[in-house]
Amino acid sequence: MIILNQVSKVFNKGKQNEFVSLREISITIPRQQVTVLKGPSGSGKTTLLSIIGGMSRPTSGRVTLDGRETTSLPERFLAALRRETFGFIFQQFNLINGISILENVMLPAVPNGERHAPLKGRAMDLLAMFGLEARAATRVELLSGGEMQRVAIARALINNPRVIIADEPTAHLDSKLSGELITIIGRLKQEGRTIIMASHDPLVCDAAVVDNLVEIRDGEISDSAPAK
Amino acid sequence: MANIEKQRAIIDFTLASLMRRKGKNAALLVVYTLVVAALASVMFLTKSIRSEAAAVLVDAPELVVQRMVAGRHEMIPLSYIEKIASIRGVKSVRGRLWGYYYDPVFGANYTLLVPQESPPEEGKVAVGQGVARSALAEVDNIMPFRTSQGALFTLTVARVLPAGTELVSSDLVLLSAADFKTLFGIPDGMATDLVAEVSNPSEIPTIAAKIARLLPDTRPIARDEILRTYDAIFNWRSGILLAILSGALLAFFIFAWDKATGLSAEERREIGILKAIGWDVGDVLMMKLWEGAALSLTAFVTGVILAWLHVFAGGAALFVPVLKGWSVLYPSFRLTPSIDLMQLAVLFFLTVIPYTVATIVPCWRAATAAPDSVMRG
Ligand SMILES: Nc1ncnc2c1ncn2[C@@H]1O[C@H](COP(=O)(O)OP(=O)(O)OP(=O)(O)O)[C@@H](O)[C@H]1O
Ligand SMILES: [Mg+2]
Repeated sequence: MIILNQVSKVFNKGKQNEFVSLREISITIPRQQVTVLKGPSGSGKTTLLSIIGGMSRPTSGRVTLDGRETTSLPERFLAALRRETFGFIFQQFNLINGISILENVMLPAVPNGERHAPLKGRAMDLLAMFGLEARAATRVELLSGGEMQRVAIARALINNPRVIIADEPTAHLDSKLSGELITIIGRLKQEGRTIIMASHDPLVCDAAVVDNLVEIRDGEISDSAPAK
Repeated sequence: MANIEKQRAIIDFTLASLMRRKGKNAALLVVYTLVVAALASVMFLTKSIRSEAAAVLVDAPELVVQRMVAGRHEMIPLSYIEKIASIRGVKSVRGRLWGYYYDPVFGANYTLLVPQESPPEEGKVAVGQGVARSALAEVDNIMPFRTSQGALFTLTVARVLPAGTELVSSDLVLLSAADFKTLFGIPDGMATDLVAEVSNPSEIPTIAAKIARLLPDTRPIARDEILRTYDAIFNWRSGILLAILSGALLAFFIFAWDKATGLSAEERREIGILKAIGWDVGDVLMMKLWEGAALSLTAFVTGVILAWLHVFAGGAALFVPVLKGWSVLYPSFRLTPSIDLMQLAVLFFLTVIPYTVATIVPCWRAATAAPDSVMRG
């Protein structure tokens, strides 16, 4: 369970271009469910996801993950949290060009100090799950959008995270691939993972797998309800 | 154990990542290698020339006595031999005939010397490799000289000296005492200088002082002093080279600094991604450390090997005109490999360490920034 308590984020605080991106957000994200942050562009969804995922710190307020406060953790522990607890699927995929699919998928596990062979085995299993086994050695920039998306998901799963964070996961996908993504999300939920997504895509927001819909507008929660 | 696996994984990624920017890294590697090669060449060359000169001078006389007139080196009368020989501790004294000759035909300077043991017969000379090359002289050829009176004086080449100590003997012309005197118009009973052998080397300073007192118009020179002069000359010459090379080094550092400090947007993005997926600052810096180390170590090792080949197999072809030779002769010679580990260590600390540091420092800032910008692409 992730609890946000009065979380605010102010950019360029005290300067002329000060901008309040999030205003005292308090929500509870239940475990093993799919929660979608919905809202227009600029409403603060990405900002909120990066605070939940330990990528940035709130200006004020607290985030607790299963009872443990994460907001005041030192950087090293935040990095470990990002690596072990969260799996990120970015809007732009953020794969590293020039190296292979397999190397990309293994990348989050590098700091773990695991033996190479089992790690590679695990990465290959994930690639097999997404039908990319045969292409493991291909450089990522040669892939289609849908393939990149699947590599990004495989990378997010390599350390077997409890929580998946996905920012606009369907933004670069057509409706068929978006449908596939929803299916994968359903599968991850079934495996007992917590999924947090930001999206304004109706395909995502209205999907059956979604348990909770949180609506954000101008950095504030305008509506929070279980999905119908 | 886990740490070893981790380093291995980081190195794997580092190497894969270096391979991606092949062009850029290859260019850097080439320049870097050349700088190391040039610096190491100077080091190898000066070091081995010095040891070569020292080796030659081991056979040099312990004590040389010159006559000074009006502060200049003059011919010395052989009658001084007896006086010096009478000093206690002096084993033997003999006169030497030697000098320099400028060959106007080939524009070269030769060192002319009447050897102590088995000098060439009258009318014959033995010449060093450099002389043979520049005067195009082979055995049985005739070499024309001009006497001090301006008369033509020809000598026959009897022998070309072996290349063993070419650095020192390359511009050498050996001839008989009679020919030497004819050539330079030196009267009998005179020598260029005297050389003395001493029973106990530790007495050299005392004996030198006695000679100076006994023969006030002479100047005794101990071998150690000659060694010091050689040293100073070689140091000076390598100093010139180093001054030139430090320009190259500076240019390299500006280049490397630019490459190392200016993180490209691409690199910045990658560091952000790595941090976002759970690498911490230490992991990112470790990767950059390996990157800098891999590149600079490769350049260092390749550069040192190139320098070795250049100096010891290629005869330091690129530096010879500056570094060596008392004359305009450019002998091609082979030096005996001689390496100063201390110098190599200095070179290492001057190249590998600064480069590696220069690659890490800019990443520090990128790596300590919060990775949330990655989320916005
Ligand atoms: N580093 C920053 N400095 C200043 N302002 C920022 C910064 N990052 C985000 N913002 C601002 O915060 C607001 C919220 O941004 P955020 O990216 O969270 O919106 P979003 O809901 O994800 O929008 P979108 O749907 O377009 O992705 C925006 O107005 C943005 O300009
Ligand atoms: Mg966004």
